[in-house]
Amino acid sequence: MNASSYVVLAVVGIFFALALWRVAKKGAPCECGGSRKACSRKGGHSCCDCCGE
Amino acid sequence: MANIKIALAGNPNSGKTTLFNALTGSDQYVGNWPGVTVEKKDGVLKGRKDVVIQDLPGIYSLSPYSLEEKVSRKFLVEENPDAILNIVDGTNIERNLYLSTQLAELGIPMVMAVNMMDVVKRNGDKIDFGKIAKALRCEVVGISALKNEGGLEAAEKTVDMARSAEHDAESGNRKVAEVPHVFSGSVEHAIAHIEESIQGKVPKRAIRWYAIKIFERDRDVIKDLDIGVGLMKHLEEHIRDCEKELDDDAESIITNQRYDFIKSLMDKSLTKNEKRRNKATLSDRIDKVVTNRWLAIPIFVLAISLMGWLAVVPGGDVTDWANDGFLGDGWHIPFTTHEVDGNDWETAQADFAKAEATVAAWEAGEKKASIEDEETGEIAEEWDIDEAAYNAAKKAKEPDPRQFGVWVPGIGAMIGAGLEKLGVSETVSSLVKDGAWGGVSTVLGFVPVIVLVFLFLAFLEDCGYMARVAFVMDRICRKFGLSGKSFIPMIVGMGCGVPAVMAARTIENKRDQRMTIILSTFIPCGAKLAIITMFSVLFFRSQWWVFPLMYFIGIAIIVFGGIALKKSKAFAGEPAPFVMELPAYHMPTLSGVWRHTWIRTKGYILKAGLIIFPACVFLWFVMHFNWSLTLLSDEQLDQSILHDVGSWLAWLLKPLGFGSWQGAAAAVSAEIAKEQATATLKIVSIGMEGATGGARVQNLFASMSDFPKLAALSFMVFNLFIPPCMVAIAVTFREMGSKAWGWIAVGFQLFVGYAIAMSIYQLGMLAMGCGFGFWTAAAIIVDLFCLWAVFRPGKKFKVVSCKLKGES
Repeated sequence: MNASSYVVLAVVGIFFALALWRVAKKGAPCECGGSRKACSRKGGHSCCDCCGE
Repeated sequence: MANIKIALAGNPNSGKTTLFNALTGSDQYVGNWPGVTVEKKDGVLKGRKDVVIQDLPGIYSLSPYSLEEKVSRKFLVEENPDAILNIVDGTNIERNLYLSTQLAELGIPMVMAVNMMDVVKRNGDKIDFGKIAKALRCEVVGISALKNEGGLEAAEKTVDMARSAEHDAESGNRKVAEVPHVFSGSVEHAIAHIEESIQGKVPKRAIRWYAIKIFERDRDVIKDLDIGVGLMKHLEEHIRDCEKELDDDAESIITNQRYDFIKSLMDKSLTKNEKRRNKATLSDRIDKVVTNRWLAIPIFVLAISLMGWLAVVPGGDVTDWANDGFLGDGWHIPFTTHEVDGNDWETAQADFAKAEATVAAWEAGEKKASIEDEETGEIAEEWDIDEAAYNAAKKAKEPDPRQFGVWVPGIGAMIGAGLEKLGVSETVSSLVKDGAWGGVSTVLGFVPVIVLVFLFLAFLEDCGYMARVAFVMDRICRKFGLSGKSFIPMIVGMGCGVPAVMAARTIENKRDQRMTIILSTFIPCGAKLAIITMFSVLFFRSQWWVFPLMYFIGIAIIVFGGIALKKSKAFAGEPAPFVMELPAYHMPTLSGVWRHTWIRTKGYILKAGLIIFPACVFLWFVMHFNWSLTLLSDEQLDQSILHDVGSWLAWLLKPLGFGSWQGAAAAVSAEIAKEQATATLKIVSIGMEGATGGARVQNLFASMSDFPKLAALSFMVFNLFIPPCMVAIAVTFREMGSKAWGWIAVGFQLFVGYAIAMSIYQLGMLAMGCGFGFWTAAAIIVDLFCLWAVFRPGKKFKVVSCKLKGES
């Protein structure tokens, strides 16, 4: 593998880690209409906590 | 400055959440059926950081009968908001005022916002706000929440009211809002006695409300106040005297006198348009057809079929463009294309594919070459080849799309070109192109269809049709002991299973609530829509009806599954009562429909980045490494970790027609998020032949079964009807209240998904003349068991029906 391969691999790795970190912190993105940001402000961890329809 | 708390209270479907969103800039889900808001939500009034608005669930009264009533009552009585903004549906003002009279008794400053004034005016009706304000001792304003008219002024007025009350509080004398007196002399006399007796035990401002509740013998209030036996005995004397005088029980006396008060108030303040008084409204006329005993179901079938046709026929072409063009290799800008040497782009591509097939066949020693139909997998064209044909084919050059029109390279092609330019190794290039981007682009490729379907559903919801579906379902299913309340979560579930499971909270009866939780996720959600679209476009393009069929199977499982569960001891019992107000039909606003669509689509796109992307990277790694963590080439994938893990599970899926490690990997990964199945299929088909990802998936199913279409249908059904994604399962466990019930739900869903997929594949094979085997017998036994569970004799339920005044 050459240097550019390592750079691309690192970029993928960073995005991978960022996605996992965000999901771990704020829960799965909300598909049910609730505001995920508002939910996390109130201490919710996943869409189940904020989408109390 | 201290925060001002304003409670937004009103009847279900009176426009509270629409107003809440307009006032706070939130994007809470708005639905025109009862039970959309189960828990209170708060938001800050736009431009007023010190004002918090609480959106309460819709309620008809402050009685503690339903969850919504309990939540709202608890908040209003215990949390002491500074003011109430009472939303009243102007088109149904008489019924809405019942709650208003109760809210006014709480002694909290109140502004009544009469909503839907645009409709009231259009109907030619007139409401005298001054008279209502005087009678209920509150401010009354007219608004139109949907058109964003008057809402902010109503909120400002409420803030002013709250502020004036707040100033009094500073001086130590909290201002008690004037409360209306709506009852007759003897009742008022008894209430006055009760008020006197409970002074000091309850907040001063709400003393009248408490007194009325004690008069009604409200158990919760009496329990909370801890009224001694002696005092209660004394109060009972007053209550009983009153009951004796009026010859009715206390609760009925209060209810009847409230309605008498409202009626006399309406006689004075509401002027109905005489011309319309006895005339059926447009909604009534539409409902005569839409909710007709015989036409209701065919109309619903027609609506969902139209949605399916839109998604597969015009939507299929858009999906192709999104997957292969915009996110794939590239696309020609329409109206810029032209022919080269008498061939258009498609013909030139087909000619080159034939040349490639000729070269491959000749080099393999064949005398005939052929091309398969992408959809059916059958030979579409076959021709004789000789050396001359081989030599001519070898000279054929791949057509350059740029020669045929203005060519826009796709994102996939640009990523590939970028990686090539950087000189990235083949392995890393495969990780990015086939793994990360391959999976994510598959999911994103369905966004146009998702938008189309969600637009369609949002239109049906906003115009008022979906509320009728629950009403029609209730009429049919009540005969089998099921309640229409169980179908509200089903409608919610078309967007996402999580709020669908939570919507079951509105069902007070625990048995029915559990049953609804188990059944509501059978309706395909937005994520499952990606699976249905992928398989419809790849395998059932010419049978577009397969798309809506998945919705009908989902509904059938809910109905028949409900019937079967109701016959078991754990769920037996009278169905929960279902009171539902049908909203008037109206033309949905463009912004409202788009809002609903965008909220759902945004979640889908976000998931592609946050869930699908890391899952695809992980899958690529476990597919390209063996247990010794040695990198494998595309030809060595059968030594990979994913191959081994998938193979351990594959035998379970053999009777379903996709018992390979790839099928198992796709089915299991779909539990992360349902649309992951589409991404995983693209990734695990890397080793397959095919010019596009779609063609590789078709070849993957052809490698798993002699009947790829049947296996594809079985795979689709299995993934749609087994337990939902992990998030929805977690919510199911939470809402069920116990692990045992959670496992029962998951077990039932797993059984249903497996049984239907096995029946489709095994009985389909039998129909195609593949003989009778062990699994055919197993499928028949399972089907007979299901039929027995549905049709075995069970308890008969009373069907309670009531006719409305004037109904023939």
